[in-house]
Amino acid sequence: MFGLPDITLLTVGITIVVVIAALVYWGLTFEGHD
Amino acid sequence: MAADPVTIAVVSLYFIGMLAIGAWASKKIKNTEDYLVAGRSLGFWVFVLLMIGTVCSGMSLLGVSGLGYKAGWPTIWEQIFVPLSIGFCVIFFGVKLHNVAKTSGYMTVQDYLAHRYESPVALRSLAAVAGIIVSMIYLVGQYTAIAIVLMWLFAIPLWLALIIATLVTMVYTAIGGLYAVAWASLIQSVILIVGVIIMAPIIIFYAGGFTHVNEVMASINPNLVMPWNPSGAFAVPYIFSFAILLMVGLACAPHVINNVLSIRDVKYFKWAPLAAFLIYGAAMFLLKFSGFAGLTMVKEGIFALPAVTNAQDYVILYGIQYSIPTIAFWGIFAVIVLAAVMSTTDRLMLTIGAMVSWDLYKKVLRPDASDKNVLLLSKIVVVLSAISTMILAINPPDMLAILIWMGIGVMLSTFAVPLLAGMYWRGATRQGALAAMSLGLVTALIFGFLNYFKVVFAGVNFATIPLHFSFYSFVIAIIAMIVVSIATKKTTEKILDETQTGWYISK
Repeated sequence: MFGLPDITLLTVGITIVVVIAALVYWGLTFEGHD
Repeated sequence: MAADPVTIAVVSLYFIGMLAIGAWASKKIKNTEDYLVAGRSLGFWVFVLLMIGTVCSGMSLLGVSGLGYKAGWPTIWEQIFVPLSIGFCVIFFGVKLHNVAKTSGYMTVQDYLAHRYESPVALRSLAAVAGIIVSMIYLVGQYTAIAIVLMWLFAIPLWLALIIATLVTMVYTAIGGLYAVAWASLIQSVILIVGVIIMAPIIIFYAGGFTHVNEVMASINPNLVMPWNPSGAFAVPYIFSFAILLMVGLACAPHVINNVLSIRDVKYFKWAPLAAFLIYGAAMFLLKFSGFAGLTMVKEGIFALPAVTNAQDYVILYGIQYSIPTIAFWGIFAVIVLAAVMSTTDRLMLTIGAMVSWDLYKKVLRPDASDKNVLLLSKIVVVLSAISTMILAINPPDMLAILIWMGIGVMLSTFAVPLLAGMYWRGATRQGALAAMSLGLVTALIFGFLNYFKVVFAGVNFATIPLHFSFYSFVIAIIAMIVVSIATKKTTEKILDETQTGWYISK
């Protein structure tokens, strides 16, 4: 797809999904009271 | 290319706008706290865009696309880990620093280090001097980027380009402090992100589309479309050290981490990491793809890069010149590049000003100095740092990205271990921090020198070491911290509690 090997799409795609999931988790669990 | 009236008008308007922000911000400066941490009053979007603007540097446009042109997809990790550095900074450093700063009144990260390690003179001074050195290295890279753009745009000599860029940035930073830097960054980041999102797809379209670009790259060398390059510089081990370098090194850089002291409310840390990652990440990916498109266009003979040693840093400039042959757009694009560079340059100069006036002068040399004198000294140092770095940038390096990574590498080796160990390990001691910081700084400078000048020493070719040079000095700093801390007297429990030291983040 897109002229790219599967390994490139998979490694880059999975990394991005994991990073976004981690940051969403942080946002949902951080209460942040001053 | 030669300058035309439209381009001159667009760029001049941008410069005038930045100076106007400086003039407006200068009216808000009543004391050193206003100048250095914007009175701890920044809102969510000003903070997010300040972080993006601080991290997004000259490398973000010229260097990112230049590296994409040179090494292809194996460099794509830069586009994930640079935007992630903002989240790393907020989550692992920001929450604790902000919470402790509420009662301790920190102005700089050196205030935290002095408090946590009970070292008001030695560690503070070392951290300030190290911060000044790494910020100067980083600044030279930024000025080089500004000069490349102005030389391209106006066909003027390097020295004149440097003077113009230095003067504008220096004036608004010196008079407006962090208020000016933050609001300028807000505008600069919006210009950058909107500009890249509009212009990068046009370059990719004119190169034949995303799929065509990847196919051409694969035909040049199949490794250019792989996620790593086993036969080149971007093999898996190197990418691992590269990720640490970018994510942790940028997060602990003084000019980045000091921003967390300027927010109004800790609740902004809830979604700032995600917002920054998504916004900045999108722009960064598009920039890298523009570099790929430039490679395709050069390969297909659509345009040729100039015959200079750092030709790849010009790829996006030539790409835009070909794809959008409308003079007004060149001026707008020049403003985008200038915005990216200046948003880091101003923050670096202000950070150097803070380290000299607050950490060295007020906290070490003259504790009885008045607030007025500290404020005045901050402004003088901003001016001096701008001028001295400009002189250093007169001989530009071969490749912009390399110099800027070198600056980040020295930051990683110097600050990451004392900060992470200080916040999360109650066993970390003053002597451990001093050893980690000094050894990290010295070994990073040595390894960086050996790597940059391709030295072969004791049978090791430093040009081809498998990891980024900073990773070795980072490991040396970790070992120094652990060994020396175990052997020396522990920090008092009172200080450890005050600084919220321990393996937790207060949620």
